[in-house]
Amino acid sequence: MQLGGAIPGAQFVDPAVLARIGNLDLVARSVVDGVINGLHKSPFFGTSVDFAEHRGYVPGDDIRRVDWRVFARTDKYYVKEFEADSNSNFVVLLDVSASMAYGPRVSKLDYGRTLAACLTYLVHRQRDRVGLVTFDHEVVDHVPPSAKHLDVVLHTLDRVKATRQGQLTAPLRLLAEHFGRRGVVVLISDLYDEPEAIFDAIAPIRFRGSDVVVFHVLDPNELEFPFTDPSAFEDLETGEQLPVVPESFREKYRALVRGHIDALTTKAAERGVDYRMLDTSRPLDFALYDYLSFRERTTRVR
Amino acid sequence: MGFLLPLFFGGLAALAVPVFIHLIQREKNTIVAFPSLMFVRRVPYESVRRRKIRHWALLALRLLALALIVAAFARPFVRGGATALTGGAREVIVLLDRSYSMGYADRWTRARAEAQRVLDGLGPGDRASLVFFGTGAEVSLQSVDDRARLTAALAAATPGAESTRFAPALKVAGTIVAESTRPRKEVVLISDFQKLAWSATDDDRLPAGTTFTPVAITDTDTRNLAVTPLAIRRGRFEGQERATLTAGVTNRGSEPVADVPIALEINGRVAEEVRVTVAPQASASATFAPVTITPTPMRVTARINDPALAADNAFNVVVAQTRPIRVLLASGSGRAADETYLRRALAIGESPRFEVTGVAADQVSDDLLAAADVLIVHDAPIGDGVAARVARFVERGRGVFVVAGARASWPQVPLFPGVLAAAVDRTRGEVGRLGGLEIGHAVFAPFRAARSGDFSSVRVYGYRKLTPSGGAQVLARFDDGQPALVAGATGRGQVLIWTTSLDLTWNDLALKPIFLPFVHQVMRTLGGFESRPASLTVGEVATPEVPAAAGRTRVVVAPDGARTALEAARGDAFEVALPGFYEVRDAANDAAAGTIVAANVDLAESDLAGVDPASVATAVTAAGDTATAGGGGVAPPRDEVTEQSQRLWWYLLLAGMLLLIGESVVASRLSGGVS
Repeated sequence: MQLGGAIPGAQFVDPAVLARIGNLDLVARSVVDGVINGLHKSPFFGTSVDFAEHRGYVPGDDIRRVDWRVFARTDKYYVKEFEADSNSNFVVLLDVSASMAYGPRVSKLDYGRTLAACLTYLVHRQRDRVGLVTFDHEVVDHVPPSAKHLDVVLHTLDRVKATRQGQLTAPLRLLAEHFGRRGVVVLISDLYDEPEAIFDAIAPIRFRGSDVVVFHVLDPNELEFPFTDPSAFEDLETGEQLPVVPESFREKYRALVRGHIDALTTKAAERGVDYRMLDTSRPLDFALYDYLSFRERTTRVR
Repeated sequence: MGFLLPLFFGGLAALAVPVFIHLIQREKNTIVAFPSLMFVRRVPYESVRRRKIRHWALLALRLLALALIVAAFARPFVRGGATALTGGAREVIVLLDRSYSMGYADRWTRARAEAQRVLDGLGPGDRASLVFFGTGAEVSLQSVDDRARLTAALAAATPGAESTRFAPALKVAGTIVAESTRPRKEVVLISDFQKLAWSATDDDRLPAGTTFTPVAITDTDTRNLAVTPLAIRRGRFEGQERATLTAGVTNRGSEPVADVPIALEINGRVAEEVRVTVAPQASASATFAPVTITPTPMRVTARINDPALAADNAFNVVVAQTRPIRVLLASGSGRAADETYLRRALAIGESPRFEVTGVAADQVSDDLLAAADVLIVHDAPIGDGVAARVARFVERGRGVFVVAGARASWPQVPLFPGVLAAAVDRTRGEVGRLGGLEIGHAVFAPFRAARSGDFSSVRVYGYRKLTPSGGAQVLARFDDGQPALVAGATGRGQVLIWTTSLDLTWNDLALKPIFLPFVHQVMRTLGGFESRPASLTVGEVATPEVPAAAGRTRVVVAPDGARTALEAARGDAFEVALPGFYEVRDAANDAAAGTIVAANVDLAESDLAGVDPASVATAVTAAGDTATAGGGGVAPPRDEVTEQSQRLWWYLLLAGMLLLIGESVVASRLSGGVS
């Protein structure tokens, strides 16, 4: 299903349709191609192809990087240096706790893994190393970053299931120790934890030099709380049930969620973390496009 | 305001449960899976619950209905409002124990004071009954609202000589309660609650709804000496009958009592005095020197002096000479050996004695018969002349015992209750046995108890066939159905025919243990002997030994001197009500000696040990009723009674049901909007 959007040239796909496509490679390629076609400028981030300058050859440099054209003109050895000298690591941290299984039309997990697949595919096209970590209250799957791991990442994403209770901060603290090399870490989660605790857990990753992008994935029901009948609400992770009369409850709930998102936004800004809240009802490529535009803008600023 | 079963108000707390459950259940009907309750949990639940209730009026209606029903089950009543609600008039029955034990120390004074307090507590509209009781119950005043009359009747009452029995008094009280139309019924039992007054087997329950208040008039430490019944041992000395009397004293106290003098009074004079020492809760006895029994009955009293309780200080008996049964033994064989067993049996008799006179059967004369009470015709033919004399003898109220052996015969006269036939020989074949005894007849009275005599063990080898005449009663038969003992009556006397021998000729009865009591009992029956007790207990009925002469009226002179005419229609019987000696005299000839009857109190009453009033109260109150604590005064109306008379629960229940109906109507109209 194609959705028209406000962005010229962009073709947005309903997340529900995407979720029904089993092949994540195909999905990612479709989404990413669509996004790139709509961009006026390469959105490549962490680029490794932008020329920076020439410098004199010193013993030890890889002779493959000698600019032979300059040597022909000047008879001196110069080596080409690019903006990013080496391939960076791109790791997706995907929350697979039971709460991510929620979603009447498309689950947050499906949305999240599609997003992860798209980003991984996109980055892989830049020849960066891609990796994946899924976690709930502990690390479930760990695909180390590698240029050859796209298929593994996609396969891993394809078979993840959200069944167990989640706990955001503990796995993040643990993973921080593994991100010694500077890279990009993308966290996809519904972030059901205290903002302060979340960013405290992210801080070590950020501290080690990695760029951290947080995708806060929420279902519209979580945002709007559109329920009407008095019911017992059951926590997908703990099984706890609470009686709720939504009509009197809704406004307070919305206020609490808004406050939570605002707190996350504020904290992210304070800690230098990119934070985007994604509504699963919105087309994924739209969200991707939106984010990449945002990323581009912020990169320029930097 | 009070509640009979306030525990039911626990049900009011339970009213919240259905509301709570309702709310919870409503919300749990659908379970919505939600990623996290992190924010849901932060919303206060109470506000949610409150807002759930949309129709407060409906809820209030439901709760009010349920509350009313719960209140109805709690059985409410208005305390102190019974009068206003129901008229509240009471039927108060005061049962006052006036047994002689109430004369102990100041018990009677205290009991009367308690009764007076009850009467003083009567309100306007209340009625009271005054019932005095001992062995029996006497309704002094029934359902009277005149307090002055009640007070006067109470003041005039004194302790009697009877012992305590609750059953008659409770029966009377139950009758009064049943007849009363007053809404509140109260029974106050004032007594010293002695053990003998109440038996666990008594089943005298007061009607349901009756308030029962036991008031115990007791003392912590009681001391009482009582005379035990006089024992009389008879003997003969130099042709005179003598009596050796033994008296005893029972000490009901906890301290030993030394040198208690027991005086033996004969005809009002002290004949002898002995002293005994009695251990606590024990008895001691003393035997007086034998006394010769005079021809006129002697009034004998054993007396002690114990001021604590005077009624049981004396025990009275009448000691009179025993009248022997004069037996005229008419023999046919002329051989004393044939009568050995019979004579030896009659010689043993002591109470009564048997004075046996032997004579040949054909020598029985009117003179001999006049001096005899019983005629025994032992295996002898009876001629017409003798038969005629014997017939007259019997008509005068005497008795004849005919032993029909091989030689026996008699003429066909109505005197003999049967026609004698040939002898039956049971020496061959199976031996004959006795059986088919009319155990209800006086002849077999000593053998009525189980294992008290086995006639079937008697082996019979021969007997005379006898065809009983009309009106004759066969008292025993042989195993072939032939009569063994036949009774007939002529005039005021009676004739017994024994169709076999009384020696060893035809049977071995004389060798059996039953022989002696059988012969004695036959003589007592035919001789009209009646064993009379030496004394009666107060409350028992006495009959004069000698019936009144025709056209003469007799009076009974009580120990207190009161004279009461005996009514022949009532069998000349009278009830002894006081301890002492009653004398039955000819009304016209007061100076002539009459029958003397000794009366004593029931000595069981002298045991002042009591029974727990609560146990009595529990036993006499109907199921569901509870007795109030004793202590005197008018018991306040019991909650049960008040509640029962008001029946507020019924109105509450009705209101609750009506509200529920109304709630149903309202709910059905709102059902479209109520979730």
